[in-house]
Amino acid sequence: MASSSSGLTFKLHPLVILNISDHYTRVKSQLHPPPSAHHCAPAAADPFAPPAPAAADPPRVYGCVIGVQRGRTVEIFNSFELLYDPATHSLDRAFLDKKQELYKKVFPNFYVLGWYSTGSDAEESDMHIHKALMDINESPVYVLLNPSINHAQKDLPVTIYESELHVIDGIPQLIFVRASYTIETVEAERISVDHVAHLKPSDGGTAATQLAAHLTGIHSAIKMLNSRVRVLHHYLLAMQKGEIPCENSLLRQVSSLLRRLPAIESGKFQDDFLMEYNDTLLITYLAMLTNCSSTMNELIDKFNTAYDRHSRRGGRTPFV
Amino acid sequence: MGSIENLVTQIQGLSGSIDDIAHLHNILKVADESLHAEPSALSSVLDQVDPAKHSLGYLYFLEAFTSGPVSKEQALTLIPILARFINCCDAQQIRFAPDKFVSVCKRFKDHVLLIESPLRGVSPMRAAVRKLQTTSEHLTTLHPDFLLLCLLSKSYNIGLSVLEDDIFDVDQPRDLFLYCYYGGMICIGQKRFRKALELLHNVVTAPMNAINAIAVEAYKKYILVSLIHYGQFSTSLPKYASSAAQRNLKNFCQPYIELATTYSSGKIAEFKIYVDTNREKYDNDKNLGLVKQVVSSMYKHNIQRLTQTYLTLSLQDIANTVQLGSPKEAEMHVLQMIQDGEIFATINQKDGMVRFLEDPEQYKTCQMIEHIDSSIQRIMTLSRKLNAMDELMSYDPLYLSKVGRERQRFDFDDFDTVPQKFPI
Repeated sequence: MASSSSGLTFKLHPLVILNISDHYTRVKSQLHPPPSAHHCAPAAADPFAPPAPAAADPPRVYGCVIGVQRGRTVEIFNSFELLYDPATHSLDRAFLDKKQELYKKVFPNFYVLGWYSTGSDAEESDMHIHKALMDINESPVYVLLNPSINHAQKDLPVTIYESELHVIDGIPQLIFVRASYTIETVEAERISVDHVAHLKPSDGGTAATQLAAHLTGIHSAIKMLNSRVRVLHHYLLAMQKGEIPCENSLLRQVSSLLRRLPAIESGKFQDDFLMEYNDTLLITYLAMLTNCSSTMNELIDKFNTAYDRHSRRGGRTPFV
Repeated sequence: MGSIENLVTQIQGLSGSIDDIAHLHNILKVADESLHAEPSALSSVLDQVDPAKHSLGYLYFLEAFTSGPVSKEQALTLIPILARFINCCDAQQIRFAPDKFVSVCKRFKDHVLLIESPLRGVSPMRAAVRKLQTTSEHLTTLHPDFLLLCLLSKSYNIGLSVLEDDIFDVDQPRDLFLYCYYGGMICIGQKRFRKALELLHNVVTAPMNAINAIAVEAYKKYILVSLIHYGQFSTSLPKYASSAAQRNLKNFCQPYIELATTYSSGKIAEFKIYVDTNREKYDNDKNLGLVKQVVSSMYKHNIQRLTQTYLTLSLQDIANTVQLGSPKEAEMHVLQMIQDGEIFATINQKDGMVRFLEDPEQYKTCQMIEHIDSSIQRIMTLSRKLNAMDELMSYDPLYLSKVGRERQRFDFDDFDTVPQKFPI
C-alpha cells in the first residue's frame, strides 16, 4: 500500500481503540464461550464441546467512527458499533442513520468520518463498505485493528487507511492507502483509559492479590525503564569508544534529559522518602515475623505431640 | 618401643592428603591400646612429631601421654605443650578424631584449674573451640568448658564474642544446658541483661525428660534477671517448655518466686525487709549480688512508671513517689537513667523540674534502613531453617504414630489408609 498523499493529518483518541477492542472481545467470547471445567476432554471425543476458539476464524466486527474535521486535521473522537449483513455485504443503513441522529443531539460537532473493522489486513470486500459510506462523507477513513497479539511488536496494531483514485492498468480505481496518525488525548480521557486498563478480574478482590497485582505493575514498569536506560547507556558507551559515529543531536537530547534530573531534591523530600521506605521495610519485617511465628507454633505442636510423654491432649479426647 | 618407632615413621609419611590421613587414622585406632599401655615412654617421641603437620598422630600420642592423674608440677610442664598443640594443630586432621581432641582439651582445662590460673587457658580453649566446630552454628562439647574458663578468669569480653553466634546444631543436650547457663552468667557480668535473659530462657525451656540441677539454678537467675530487666515476672512457662519443667521447677525455687511477688507490689521498704530475712538462702545459691541489683532496679522501674503518667514532675515529687531520700538522690538516679538510655528526659536545674520526652528516634535515617534490612535477612534464613525442621518433624515416625493413633477413632466410615501403628 502506498502512503497517503492527501496531506491530511489524523489524530486518533484512545477511546476509539478501546471501543473497537472491547467490541471485538465481546463478540468473540459470545461466539465461542470459554470451555467449562466439565468439558476438559479433547474436542474430538466430545460432540457437545464448543469448537476450540483458536481453530475457528476470528470474527470481524464493524462500526462507525465519528469526530471532527477542521481544515487539514481530522480528529477521531468516538465510535459506535454497526451490524454487518453478510448476505448483502453491507452495513445496516437504517441503524446507522438512527445512531447518527442520536449522537448528533449530544455532540452536534461530530460527523461520521468513516468506519472501522478488525483483521490483519485490508481486503477487497472492504471497498464495498467504503464506497457505501461515501455518500455520508466524501472521503471516509478506514480504521483497522489487528486483534492478534504479537509480543514482538512495539507499536499499536492500528492502521488508518484512506481511499485514493489511482490509475491501474488504465482503469481508475479506488485503492486503500496508509495514512500516518498520532494519538491525541485529553486529561479526563487519559485517566479513564488508565483506570479501565487496570481493571482486575472480579475474584481478585482479596487484598493480597490486589497488592500483588499492583506491585507487579510497578515492577514491570521499572523493568521497562531500566532496559531503556541500559540501551541508551550502551549506545553512549559505543559512541565514546568510537564504534558509532558521534551524533550531536542525540547527544544534545541526552544531555538535556540529564539536566532535568533529579526531579526533586531537597531535605524534606529525603526525610519523607526515607521514612516511607522505613515503614515499608518494617511492614515486611512484621510480615516475616508473623510467618516465622506461625511456622514455629506448628513445629512446637508437632514436637509436643511426638516427644512429650505427658502432654495434654488438646480438645480431641475421644468420647465413647 | 619398636612399634612406637614404626608409628612415628608412618605418621611422618602419611600426613599428606586426606586419604592418607584416613588410612593413618585406622592404623592409629588399632595401635591405641599399645600407646595407652606405656604412657611415660611417649615423652621423647613427642618431640619427633610436629604438631602442626602431623596433628592426628600427635593427638593420639598426647592423649595417651596425658591419661592418668597428674600433680601440680606435672600440670605446669604439661600446660605449655598442650597449649602449643591446640594453637597450631590442623583443624581438618583433628576432626577425624573429635572425641580424642575433646578429652585432651578437657584435661587441659583441668590442669589449668589445678594450678589456679584460668586465664592461661582462655585463649587456647577459644582456638580449640573454633577448630572443632564444623560451622559457626555448631555447638561442641568444648563450648561450655571455654565459657567456664572465661567466667573463672573474669575475661567476659572474649566469652561474649563466642556467644554472639547463633546456634543451630548441638552435639549433646548437656552441652546446651551448660553453655546457656554459663553464657547467661557472662552476660549478667557484662550487664547485658537482655541477652542473659534469652540464654537463661533457653535453659529453662529446653526439652528435658526429667528436671536437672542446671535448669533449677538457671530458673532462679532467670527470675532475678527478668525482674532487673523488665520489672515483672510471670510464673507461667510458655507451651514449648517441657512438661517436666512446667510441673517441677517452681517447687525448687520458692523463695525466688515469693521475691517476685513482693517486687510486684512496688513497695521498696517491704521488699528490702523480705530480702534481709531470706539473705542466707540467696547467699547459699551465690545470688546475693544479683538480688542487690534487683533492689536498685526497683527505683528505676518506679521512675519509668512515672514517665507514663506525668509530663513534667519536680524532683521532690519524684523522690517522694519512689521513696528516695532526697531530691538530690532522685536527680542522680534520673541522670544515670538518661545516660543509660532508659528514659528520655530533660532536667531543669533552676526550678528542679524534670520533663519527660518521647523517644526521639524518627526511623528515617539510612542506618536504620540498613539495620532493618539486616534483620530481615536474618529472619529469612531463620524462616528457611524453620521450614526445613517443620518438614523433618512431619516425617518423624514417632510423631506420625501418635497422630495416626488419635485420628483412627473418628474416621470409621471413610477408609483411612493411615496405619495405626508404625513399625519402627
